[in-house]
Amino acid sequence: MPNITLSGVAKSYGGGDYAVKNLDLTVPDGAFMCLLGPSGCGKTTTLRMIAGLEQPSAGTIAVGDRILDSVERGLYVPPEKRDMGLVFQNYALWPHLSVRENVEFGLRMRKVPAPERRARAAAALKMVHVDAAMERYPSQLSGGQQQRVALARMLAINPTVLLLDEPLSNLDARLRLEMRAELKRIHDESGATIVFVTHDQLEALTMATDIAVMNEGELQQLAAPMELYARPANRFVAEFVGSPPMAIVDVGAAPTGLAGSLLRFVESRAAGCAPAGIGIRPEALRLDPPPDAAWSEEALVEAVLPAGSSWTVRLRILDAELYALSYTPVEAEPGDTLTCWTDQMHLFGEGGDRISSWDRTKVGA
Amino acid sequence: MALLTKAETPPPPPRRRRLVYRLRVLRHDPTAALGLILVALLAYLVVAPLVAVVSDAFRLQYGDQVHAGQQPGEWTGYYLWRVFRSQISGLLFWEPLLNTLVVAVGTVVFAVVVGGGMAWLVTRTNVPGRKWLAGALVVPYMLPSWTFSLAWLSLFKNERAGGQVGFLQAMGIRTPDSLAYGAVPIIITLGLHYYPFVLLLVGNALRRIDAQLEDSARILGAPQRTVIRRIVAPLMLPALSSAVLLVIGRVLGTFGTPYVLGLPADFRVLSTGLYQSIRDRSTGVASVLATVIVIIGILIVFTDSRLMREHRRFVTVGGKGAMDRLGDLRRWRWPAFALGLLVFVLSVLVPVLTLLLSTVTRTPLDLSTFTLDFWLAERLPGAVGFPHGVFRGSELWTAAWNSLRIVGLASLICALCGLLIGYVVVRGSAPRIAGFLRQVSFLPYLIPGIAFAAASLSLFAVARGPVPALYGTTFLLILVMAVTHLPYSSRSGIAAMMQLGREPEEAAQIAGASWWQRMRRIIFPIQKGALVTGIVLPFISGLKELSIVIMLTTTGTELLTTLSIGLVDYGYTQLANAVVLVIALVSFTMTYLTQRLTKSSLASGLGG
Ligand SMILES: Nc1ncnc2c1ncn2[C@@H]1O[C@H](COP(=O)(O)OP(=O)(O)OP(=O)(O)O)[C@@H](O)[C@H]1O
Ligand SMILES: [Mg+2]
Repeated sequence: MPNITLSGVAKSYGGGDYAVKNLDLTVPDGAFMCLLGPSGCGKTTTLRMIAGLEQPSAGTIAVGDRILDSVERGLYVPPEKRDMGLVFQNYALWPHLSVRENVEFGLRMRKVPAPERRARAAAALKMVHVDAAMERYPSQLSGGQQQRVALARMLAINPTVLLLDEPLSNLDARLRLEMRAELKRIHDESGATIVFVTHDQLEALTMATDIAVMNEGELQQLAAPMELYARPANRFVAEFVGSPPMAIVDVGAAPTGLAGSLLRFVESRAAGCAPAGIGIRPEALRLDPPPDAAWSEEALVEAVLPAGSSWTVRLRILDAELYALSYTPVEAEPGDTLTCWTDQMHLFGEGGDRISSWDRTKVGA
Repeated sequence: MALLTKAETPPPPPRRRRLVYRLRVLRHDPTAALGLILVALLAYLVVAPLVAVVSDAFRLQYGDQVHAGQQPGEWTGYYLWRVFRSQISGLLFWEPLLNTLVVAVGTVVFAVVVGGGMAWLVTRTNVPGRKWLAGALVVPYMLPSWTFSLAWLSLFKNERAGGQVGFLQAMGIRTPDSLAYGAVPIIITLGLHYYPFVLLLVGNALRRIDAQLEDSARILGAPQRTVIRRIVAPLMLPALSSAVLLVIGRVLGTFGTPYVLGLPADFRVLSTGLYQSIRDRSTGVASVLATVIVIIGILIVFTDSRLMREHRRFVTVGGKGAMDRLGDLRRWRWPAFALGLLVFVLSVLVPVLTLLLSTVTRTPLDLSTFTLDFWLAERLPGAVGFPHGVFRGSELWTAAWNSLRIVGLASLICALCGLLIGYVVVRGSAPRIAGFLRQVSFLPYLIPGIAFAAASLSLFAVARGPVPALYGTTFLLILVMAVTHLPYSSRSGIAAMMQLGREPEEAAQIAGASWWQRMRRIIFPIQKGALVTGIVLPFISGLKELSIVIMLTTTGTELLTTLSIGLVDYGYTQLANAVVLVIALVSFTMTYLTQRLTKSSLASGLGG
């Protein structure tokens, strides 16, 4: 099964604004790709363009050699001929058809004979564990069941590409966890290429094989989850991925305070390096006794916020306020002074792009 | 990776390329084509007639060359002069205008006093039988509007117009002309028909007022009277002004009542004047009158929407169902109930029973002369044009069949168009087409029915281009009737499609269904309910429709309503009454059944 490629894709809904600007994206065969980004960044638009429900203003969308959209060459394949599955955020089940009829619909359209149709619909429903509710109508199902039926409806036609638009956002926390695992399983079993839209970074990090981070219609970074986390391409990705987010200290012309302290440390490591911003992830800001080759500074504890398995500590370091995330109990009280240290930093250049990351435990990047 | 700086928007592909691509997309998506077809249809059926009637008002018609000293087809101010400034303009325009104003103001006052009072009674007080009253008091609106005028004649008619005299006259009590015909009876009968309109609108508004608003005022120390003056009244203003303006608009376009009760006393209003001009074949004058009515109609609705916009800031938030505390009438409870009952008796029982009795007695309402001849007799001595009971002979059945067929088809077309308009608007691939459809399909709402019929005549009475003259054809009737009811069905169609959203269809598209399959298997089945309401509501109001069809029917295309008016013309009061009773029965039964079956309220069908 070939790759999905988007090249130079732009979309404007009329007026001057672009919902998607010049997007180049390749979804590898068999990938589980997440489109991740804040609300309104063009994720749904991108997904709908791949499905053919929305037409790009410029650019080309192809699956393997088959061009689905090409504004430049005037080529277009309508959605009903694309053989993709799309699960809508609000499920969009057909209220006048029973669960079974909903799932059989796509097969009926493909003129699959009745016995096979039934068998395949039953199998798809079994896969998502709603085969017991086969003869019910969508209004008689719970939200979670409706969502599974929507999924089964698309699985039944064995799509090579499955598009999912925030399918888990309407579920409660427990069901969401369950469905994440189930989606992973379905991905493994069916071998389909999945493109999954979400604005929940945890969802993206736990499920995806590849993550495409978007902001304001632009692709920010395309990488594997841990790569994305370890080496964010720019300040936006760095701040968007991770919770609590990475703190980025701006380095001005003549930095003082925390910025000055960090810059002196960086320059002592790599002479001539002139970052415009230095980022530290909360969990990289440590409170245990510092090793030798690390940056360290005195910090005033402002608040300790325990959260069961982890502790978030608000610290005042020189002129700045930072969060530290610890997975071991923090004994300090507000007002105490501690030594904090880090051996992991991300350096960002003038335009916001990452210049390098420094990590003592791994060899630099 | 210099991503942030890189992602400039690319230069858009050349225009020609984009066009090729767009065309390719359109070939696979019939929505755009459907939108264009609907646009063309509406332009032809709604916009073109209006253009035609306005242009007819300024062009010299055949036959007027001598008077105007111009050639037919030339631009002329002759008709404007004739209508507004000539010696006969008083008769043609100013007097009918004045009469129209008198009738409109009188009807509004009557409807507001009765409707507003009853609305308050059934929503805000503990009057006994509140629920029943609320339902029963709406019944007059389900009867054809001129039912009341026929009932009035059966009671008060004197010998002036010939034919059977009314009950009072037959008893030997002379009824003066001013009581039998003209402004007074027209105002009363129209008022009886339109007060439910006020009751529904004002009642809804009263129901929505949050009791907490009043409570807070009371807690702050305002006495009951102040609360009503400072809180309730301002909140009622939007609904009230809306009701007033809409009643005026309706009165402006209504034909039956002023025709039945006005003409015998030479009491002309704009609508009957327009009708006569058309019957007299003075097309130019008729066009000017129609244009004037159209303009007044549009002004009224604009005023209404302007007022509504100003009042929008009054809209109370979340006052749903808060009206559970009712004013206690104490010892006025039963008198209040008696008053409500009286209104019901006067507006429903009296007219209907009068009509019924008049059709089963030879001497009006004298039960000793009981007879079923007017319904069943093989031969009625003395009646020339219609020499038998209404159920005998073919006239009633032909008219009923015509009504059923024509109104039914028109409603079907109307509902389908409404749904398709909703579909195109919601798919919204072309905002400009959607906007046009939304607005133009609503246009007939602004135009009093009789003026729209006149406009349609202007366009379709003569052959234009490849379109033959349609006057007198069933086809024209169906078209005009469908178009005039389009505002309601397109609004409900848009609402239904909006509620559904585009996703169910897109899901089907993704699943591989072609456009036709999506329509047949997804859209129409889901919208079945909306479609049925979209058919039934125009059907009910179309059955009672007279103003629109009166100018378009000919002997071959007689409808129930025009049959009844025709019998009035002949002076066969009892027969006319019998036919109206048939219409009233059908329309009432259907409204009742629809409300029962679809749980839709009459308020949404206010189009009637
Ligand atoms: N039909 C439309 N017409 C006009 N603008 C639109 C339309 N659909 C989306 N947009 C705009 O395009 C931009 C991207 O929208 P999109 O729906 O792709 O965002 P999203 O990333 O899916 O956001 P969310 O996470 O909130 O779903 C937004 O600014 C939105 O307002
Ligand atoms: Mg979205």
